[in-house]
Amino acid sequence: MLILRLIAERILLSLLTLLLVSMFIFLMLEILPGDVASRILGRDATPESLAVLRAQLHLNEPALLRYGSWLGHLLTGDFGTSLVSNRPIADILGPRIFNTVLLSLYAFAIYLPLTVLPAMIQAIRRDRPIDHALSIVTLVLLSTPDFLLATILLITFVIAVPILPAMSLVDEGSSAMEYIQAMTLPAITLAIVMAVYAVRMLRDNLIEVLDADYVRMAELKGLSARRVLIRHALPNALVPTLNVTALNLAYLVGGVVVVERIFSFPGFGSLLIDALQLRDLPLIEATIMISAAVYIVANLLADIGAILVNPRLRKG
Amino acid sequence: MMVSAVAPTNTVYARLERYLSAWQRSPRSLRIGSVILAVHVILAALGPFIAPYGYAHMGAGIPLSGMSWQHPFGIDQLGRDIFSRVLYGGHIEILLSLSGTALGLIVGAIIGLLSGYIGGWIDNLLQRLLEALISIPFLVLALLAIAAAGPEAAGDPVLVIFVVALVYAPRIARMARSAAIDIATRDFVTVARLRGESAWSVMRRELLPNATSVLLVEFALRAGYAPVLIGSLGFLGFGMRPPTPEWGLMISENRALLIVSPITVLGPGFALASLVVGLNLFTEGVARILGRSVRLGAR
Repeated sequence: MLILRLIAERILLSLLTLLLVSMFIFLMLEILPGDVASRILGRDATPESLAVLRAQLHLNEPALLRYGSWLGHLLTGDFGTSLVSNRPIADILGPRIFNTVLLSLYAFAIYLPLTVLPAMIQAIRRDRPIDHALSIVTLVLLSTPDFLLATILLITFVIAVPILPAMSLVDEGSSAMEYIQAMTLPAITLAIVMAVYAVRMLRDNLIEVLDADYVRMAELKGLSARRVLIRHALPNALVPTLNVTALNLAYLVGGVVVVERIFSFPGFGSLLIDALQLRDLPLIEATIMISAAVYIVANLLADIGAILVNPRLRKG
Repeated sequence: MMVSAVAPTNTVYARLERYLSAWQRSPRSLRIGSVILAVHVILAALGPFIAPYGYAHMGAGIPLSGMSWQHPFGIDQLGRDIFSRVLYGGHIEILLSLSGTALGLIVGAIIGLLSGYIGGWIDNLLQRLLEALISIPFLVLALLAIAAAGPEAAGDPVLVIFVVALVYAPRIARMARSAAIDIATRDFVTVARLRGESAWSVMRRELLPNATSVLLVEFALRAGYAPVLIGSLGFLGFGMRPPTPEWGLMISENRALLIVSPITVLGPGFALASLVVGLNLFTEGVARILGRSVRLGAR
């Protein structure tokens, strides 16, 4: 019962956070700027177009009422209408989110071996040249901004060794092969950025576990080094790394903004940048709200996972 | 007489020797990091004076003519010398990063320490608000703040500083709060409270001095990532504006002609990455000396 209460508590807190995020977004975009309509129209503003936009966004109503109706529509899944294309935002979001989810899954598939293999090599060859070399590589990659890493990959695989396309343009009509080609470079970029963060952590965890008594015991039983590492050490070292993976998911939500932009990949992140550049207010609000929601849900799942695997709570 | 003549030289010599041995005993990451940072700071300070061309000087050479001794980082499409622009950009990168992080540290530390010390519903409320700010991915939060500031403020260095501070303050506050909760259980804090000191003065005189090592590592860690954040904003077109020689902006400007002249992108890219490598190594070294573990790379 204690578990259920803790989980229910977590869910309520997450909902509260989501509510506060929505207030903050509304405050930043609709209350702080003062005259929203002339902000959106900028130099193109005429008295008539301002009046039309004000009516369209209900800017003449009190702010609190506008927030209430915006939130009410959000709860029913209605994100409003895009100012630029005049289409319902939910329709625009659908294919973009689909693309980004595909890209993220691809990136995660590359991320896992890219984290585990170097960390295992480093842990086995501790304080040997290969360990030091990999430490330097991960530090340099950790310090390389994602947009620079993407650009370097672009130079390598598009110009020097031309095997992949520079522009990752896909649409509903693209074949699976075209999708894979388009997503490879963005996915590799995201995977590297996530992996270098986790490798350093996993290496330290593995070394700690390899020194533990039960690993010594397994070695003394005469098990092969590989079996000791894969069956006994790795699973225990992975548990603390799961937390890092949750943090990496949080990075991914922001990381796709930069990476999709660089490769012109039509996903959720490039939609956010487009919305900002075109000052499409309802679309900006919807995309930022969704990116925060993804982060909050990911954290909630990580918390619930931690509660479920905690043996001290399991009995109670 | 002889003693007094020799003694000062001796102390100076002894002091130098002490410094030298402290340097040799310090972690290798701190030594390498300090050297890289020193090179960056010197080049950033002298940059505008030693740069062979002005940062907006067009016609420094043949556009996109590639690497040469005269133009080590090449020439961009407007005929500007990239090496000179990188030299001019150093102080922009360092000053914006440090002042943004410092502002975030001040605001974050005050909120976090007070919130952790006072506790109760105020702490609960602040916790929820900070949690909400942290749940917006930091690049998205930065873009949101820039959208809120509007087109009039675009490219303003003050805006960039505020944005860095806004992104970091909640994260720093969270660390400061947990440090404050830990320190608040000690006797000297109880004594100060019983003396009738206000929360503000307890924070300033009891909590802050005992939280310095936490805050120092936190500052170094965040300052190490600030150039990446500023560069990302510049790269996406929401940070500094042309013709400012901000490195992220330069990478984005020259990216279109990557195929013709990759060095115009790699030059500023190397400058940015090496600055962050230096800051990260420095942070790791400082954390090791203070006996704290630090997870490099901001998430």
